[in-house]
Amino acid sequence: MPFDPVAYAIPVFVALILGELLWTRFAGDAHAYEWRDTGTSLAIGLGSTVAGAITGGLTAALLVWVHGFAPLSIGWAWWAWPLCFVLDDLAYYVFHRSAHRVRWFWASHVNHHSSQHYNLSTALRQSWTGFVALSFIFRLPLALIGFEPGMILACAGLNLVYQFWIHTETVKRLPRWFEAVMNTPSHHRVHHAVNARYLDRNYAGTFIVWDRLFGTFAPEDGEDRIRYGIVSQLGTFNLFYAVFHEWIGIARDVWKAPWRHKLSYLWREPGWSHDGSRETSDMIRRRWLESRGEQ
Amino acid sequence: MPAAVLQFVGSLAAVVAIVTVAWLLGSRKSANLSDEEEARELFRLAPGGFEPVEIALDTEGAAAIARDADGRLAMLVPHGNQFVFRLVPPDTPIRVEGDSVTPGNRPFLRITIGESARDWANTDSGDNNG
Repeated sequence: MPFDPVAYAIPVFVALILGELLWTRFAGDAHAYEWRDTGTSLAIGLGSTVAGAITGGLTAALLVWVHGFAPLSIGWAWWAWPLCFVLDDLAYYVFHRSAHRVRWFWASHVNHHSSQHYNLSTALRQSWTGFVALSFIFRLPLALIGFEPGMILACAGLNLVYQFWIHTETVKRLPRWFEAVMNTPSHHRVHHAVNARYLDRNYAGTFIVWDRLFGTFAPEDGEDRIRYGIVSQLGTFNLFYAVFHEWIGIARDVWKAPWRHKLSYLWREPGWSHDGSRETSDMIRRRWLESRGEQ
Repeated sequence: MPAAVLQFVGSLAAVVAIVTVAWLLGSRKSANLSDEEEARELFRLAPGGFEPVEIALDTEGAAAIARDADGRLAMLVPHGNQFVFRLVPPDTPIRVEGDSVTPGNRPFLRITIGESARDWANTDSGDNNG
């Protein structure tokens, strides 16, 4: 069984959530947490560990299988660890961008975004259906290059652990050099925002440099109050609806759509519709820019 | 007991503990609008924006209904201590009962706004197609 940093980090997650709860309470922020929202977030997180236990072995087996085709074996050399971590973070960026731009992947990722709160408990809203959505394919190239499957999975786990602490409003801004290179609470607040200017921005896992490099970076504007969640807010704390609602929506749309449009409801961006009755992120942003006379 | 089961049980206990602490610390208040300005700001925060030209607040501050310049109707519906923005679909009939209005057959969207309820009844929701 590969080393799983997330399992060791769980007690730290629990302690930090309790710490943030107390901090926000005594700082007078009555809206930072909502007990039912926190319950839903944590239940989704708990369920995701069960899903991970069921499908983790399959992902590992696929990585081992692909690794067999690698032209060279990098092995466990010390220098391979930082290299693997950086390349895995790039793979995460590609996955995460796809997860917001392709509805099939979004259906699995959306539950991470469906809370209207942004606190450390939100970080634990992880997918139950990542394997079904084929999210693992983004990490297969690393195995094909020659990185050890166990190293890839450990780096992926460390990446996930890093992303926990950035889900907070308690930390405002960090030193400029850190904000320039690393993903931070400020950058990730932008990612969780549904304000038109922030939609589909800041996909980074650990290093924000990927967004700066590929043109998807947006800085947080302190003047623009952030609204968190998804474009069409769920409006329910129902655990199973939160986890599966987008899959249900896809099934409904594919069933109702004319034959020539059915597949588009799987691979086009969230919000796309064949009759133009809905709005994608790009359409929302365009409308917002037009309203400001900027386009 | 296998380690995985132990980890699950421990995590479940932690979930219950955190939710209990959140409840005890008072994170269970319902969303409330203090005035029209607060409602206006929340309507404006809707994705792509919604600029109200007319707003009516629930008498308890628990919800709001608004109309924009294009005649579209939208509501702020409470969800925990936050509000959910809902655009009222075009051609939705607005029913009036006393000082309350209800869009369509959705009793959970019923909002008590006082004497101005009759004015909203006159809203031609057929215009709500922006």
